[in-house]
Amino acid sequence: MSAANILFYIMSFIALASAGYVAVSKNLVRSVFIFFVTLFALAGLYVLALADFVAVTQIVVYVGGILVLILFAFMLSGRETLNVLQHPDRSVWKITNLPALLIVALLFIVLINVILKTDADHLGWISDSIKTKNYITNSGDMTGNIGVNLMTRYLLPFEIISILLMMALVGAAHLSRKESVE
Amino acid sequence: MVSYLIYIGVAIGLFAFAATFALFAVYYERKLSAFIQDRIGPSETGKYGSLQTLADILKLIQKEIINPTATDKWLYALAPAIIFIAVYMGFAALPWAPGLVPSKINIGLYYIFAIISIETLGILMAGWGSNNKYSILGAMRSAAQIISYEIPAGFALIAVVVICGSLDLQEIAMQQGILFKEHTQFLGIWDVTGMGGFMSWNIFRAPHLIIAFIIYFIASLAESNRAPFDIPEAESELVAGFHTEYTGMRFGLIFLAEYSMMFLVSMVGVVLFLGAWNTPFPNIGSIHLANWTTGIGWGIFWIFVKTLLLVTVQIWIRWTLPRLRVDQLMDLCWKVLTPLAFICMVISAVWRVWVMN
Repeated sequence: MSAANILFYIMSFIALASAGYVAVSKNLVRSVFIFFVTLFALAGLYVLALADFVAVTQIVVYVGGILVLILFAFMLSGRETLNVLQHPDRSVWKITNLPALLIVALLFIVLINVILKTDADHLGWISDSIKTKNYITNSGDMTGNIGVNLMTRYLLPFEIISILLMMALVGAAHLSRKESVE
Repeated sequence: MVSYLIYIGVAIGLFAFAATFALFAVYYERKLSAFIQDRIGPSETGKYGSLQTLADILKLIQKEIINPTATDKWLYALAPAIIFIAVYMGFAALPWAPGLVPSKINIGLYYIFAIISIETLGILMAGWGSNNKYSILGAMRSAAQIISYEIPAGFALIAVVVICGSLDLQEIAMQQGILFKEHTQFLGIWDVTGMGGFMSWNIFRAPHLIIAFIIYFIASLAESNRAPFDIPEAESELVAGFHTEYTGMRFGLIFLAEYSMMFLVSMVGVVLFLGAWNTPFPNIGSIHLANWTTGIGWGIFWIFVKTLLLVTVQIWIRWTLPRLRVDQLMDLCWKVLTPLAFICMVISAVWRVWVMN
């Protein structure tokens, strides 16, 4: 087993174990902090897949932005609200939970099916791109490639996303503005 | 196998450097603040008090680590480690001399920017884990401040990245001296290709980059929680902010992180704006000052001296200016620095297309 393989298994294990803890833990704040471990392990997996730019973006966006925002929400809410949230009715097998259980079970079946049906080593589109030489190697120029593609081939989606984010920003600024006293 | 040993050796070396630097920076800060306030400063321990911080750290190591009963044990214990590791990992991508960089990655700057943002999480962890109102207020102030000031800092950095066309810190460093073979201009008017020296530093490559540097410097003060932006640990209001409950080596780690952060942000500023490891002396006619003062040894010397100068300015500002109020802090960030940084970025793009071609 090569070093990359060992690293892959270590990081997948960390990601899965911490994700499990996030889902099961009764302490909400602690699960937010453990979620950080999950995201970090995922970033490590991206690096192993030669997607270093995606890995760093993952850390900037999720750890630097979203996690901190979630924590802010926690800290701005009172301890009583948190206590109610932390001691919910934890019994699973109830009639009101039936739709949720159904959806979860079906989704699980779909996922298992996908895993069993996908022949990950011989994917059609991957062998096609290898045949037509439509791939890049780890030349150290991955970021430049992303930039050029964003500004040429994928310019329209890129601009649409930027307009969407702009709308969200304007909306947030409008909502948080003080009403002028008349 | 040898390569792995080298990796570990480099990591230990960087840690040793961060720790030693923090040790002497504390002494330096105390002496400088004493000078500014017309005192003598530490003078008893060793010659001119030079062993004072060594004695302090010995005391910190021996202290009992106190666990207050109401804390969240895990978060409380891990927070100082996360705060320090976040800063320490940033050192991995910083270039020291031509060809000498611990980790040569082509997104070095972006990586540093991302890793530093983890520090916020550590601070929030410390504040929440301490279960103390001063800690949590300090942590929230700190997080709000760091997140806000990341924006002007980021855009000031992007202004440089647009001019350089690279995120690789070694590439950016190389472009600012005699090793760069392409066309270099001083403020866009005077051709200084092959002359090197301070005139080819990024800060002088375009006039607006001087403003970008000032924006970055102010924002970097806020990101390392230094005065005049030290409301997260404002002694008069919050005891000691997010690290109120910490004792012994845990407090030591937070302290270490603060001084390492000072060095880190200063070094990023030096690499991006002040010529990195390039010499300040230009080649004038047949006197090749720049050629004589470029090399691995010189590179380490120059970058270290320049970074220490910036750290000195940080300390000087801390002991000269009063602390900003919260609303003033946010006004400065959102109403002054952020728009200016945006303008700098736009000018950079225009400059790159119309002046540099």
